[in-house]
Amino acid sequence: MMDRRLRASGPGAFTRDIANLVADLAREAGLAEHDAYRLRLAADEITTNIAMHGYRGRCGMVEISGGVEDDWVWLLVVDEAPPFDPTHWSPSPRRAGDPVDGPVGGHGLFLALRSLDGFTYEYVAGRNRNMLWLRRSTADRSVGPRDSPVPNMGPARGGGG
Amino acid sequence: MSLHTRMVNEDGVVTIRLAGEVDSRSAHRLNELIIEAAAASPSRLVLLTEELTYLSSAGLRCLVFAHQKMGPGVEIVLVGTRPDVAETIRMTGFDRSVIMQDAVDQ
Repeated sequence: MMDRRLRASGPGAFTRDIANLVADLAREAGLAEHDAYRLRLAADEITTNIAMHGYRGRCGMVEISGGVEDDWVWLLVVDEAPPFDPTHWSPSPRRAGDPVDGPVGGHGLFLALRSLDGFTYEYVAGRNRNMLWLRRSTADRSVGPRDSPVPNMGPARGGGG
Repeated sequence: MSLHTRMVNEDGVVTIRLAGEVDSRSAHRLNELIIEAAAASPSRLVLLTEELTYLSSAGLRCLVFAHQKMGPGVEIVLVGTRPDVAETIRMTGFDRSVIMQDAVDQ
């Protein structure tokens, strides 16, 4: 299991740290390049959304931990911004028409939830807890530890896809 | 990895080579180039993306921005896009708004 506590402000504040953390986790889990890419994309979009909309560009804290459990890789992203459940956000209005005619933004959470194999959210003790799940491809499962701590939340399909 | 770019304007076609990553930290650089390209009033904008290794929603917003700055009559062509980046574009439906091809037209 790996933990990072990040404090930063502004769009893109966590992008580099997320890329490094996911790269480390992908190595530990033996993730295929494609799986590592979609886990990074999901984590990048979730944390960018926290920085831009949760903290509104002001300084804020994000704690990230990650691990490997059998055929699953998980990332837990915790922040202290106002409560926000990404699974209750609907991309439908933006997806209905030509993407270049609609609002410029709004695709990040859609990409995040579509890139994952599972996503759960809860608000506990004043903190948003976003759990990101990725199922390792069959070829990846021979690599990585089997004794990672088991998270309390089980894998569940994200609501944005 | 940061974003490296190179822009060429030739015969009414602006070509931008992208190498590295377009994310929320580097997207502003691409937007600056798009503004510069639009000022040349090209008939076509070609993005060479063989070396583009990562594209987040911030990069997708650059494509929207390019459409808005170039206007409806200007084709936007992505060449040699890697599978993971292409999947991001397709997931959000942007492949309907740009031309995606494997190689540059001869």
